Amino acid sequence: MSYAVGDSLPPFVINSVSPAAMKEWAVFLADPNPIHLDVEVVKAKGLGDRVINQGPINVAYLMNMLLAAFPGGRIESMDTRFLDNVYGGDTVTASGRVTAVDGRRVSCDISLDVEGRGTVNAGTATVQI
Amino acid sequence: MSELAELPPAPDVAGFKLDGAGTFTISAVENAALCRSTGVEPARDGTAHPIYYYIATQVAMGQTVAGLCAVCDFDVEDGPMMGSSTARFAVALRTGGEYRVSGEILSVVRKRSRKLGVMDVLTYRLRLHETGGQVAVETDNVWVLPRKELA
Repeated sequence: MSYAVGDSLPPFVINSVSPAAMKEWAVFLADPNPIHLDVEVVKAKGLGDRVINQGPINVAYLMNMLLAAFPGGRIESMDTRFLDNVYGGDTVTASGRVTAVDGRRVSCDISLDVEGRGTVNAGTATVQI
Repeated sequence: MSELAELPPAPDVAGFKLDGAGTFTISAVENAALCRSTGVEPARDGTAHPIYYYIATQVAMGQTVAGLCAVCDFDVEDGPMMGSSTARFAVALRTGGEYRVSGEILSVVRKRSRKLGVMDVLTYRLRLHETGGQVAVETDNVWVLPRKELA
């Protein structure tokens, strides 16, 4: 498989972000922050009316997109900025575009977008293919 | 005199060690559950989901999230926010792999933001070491700590 600068990577889509997954991640992360678990806490803090996805899950979606786009590849580096929250029930799409190809190393711009709200995570990644 | 000069200084905690006391083992069972929770099947070759760079370092750094906030004189109930995360992998992480964490706080910088008011920007670096001591991955995380009491 070959890649060229400007190529778009196949998107990775989560049709509905799962509050049940957030409960699992509270255990994985050993972090029981209630804004990920209890919508009443989210409301009380004025942060919205749905539970908020843990930031690292959003990074995992981006990684899933990269690993699917480059089968057998290994992520060498990744940098993501958190621009906005992802909420339970959101539809999110992770996407990317090739910015450089250097031998077996492919660099990409990556982003995570929420349907109707725009980009919530953006960054760069380098994958060894 | 700048506006920031009128504020108390940010906590002087640069260099604070975040070395873990124990180790973190990536369980194959947990990795499978984690992969499925993000919409993919686990790899069949023994590699773990790369997001374990974040999970393993956070869980085994020797401070809870609340504890890390407390080091920065910040109450976790005031809502720390992730600003950015960078990871540099030397090798893929593996299920069954046992890792040790070392790290340190790089900086805490007090800023004034139009959206958040006064905030501290915490940057810390963590490394996951394999049992032989080699660094498998290094990560720099940035958290935003809103200082509502100074707004």
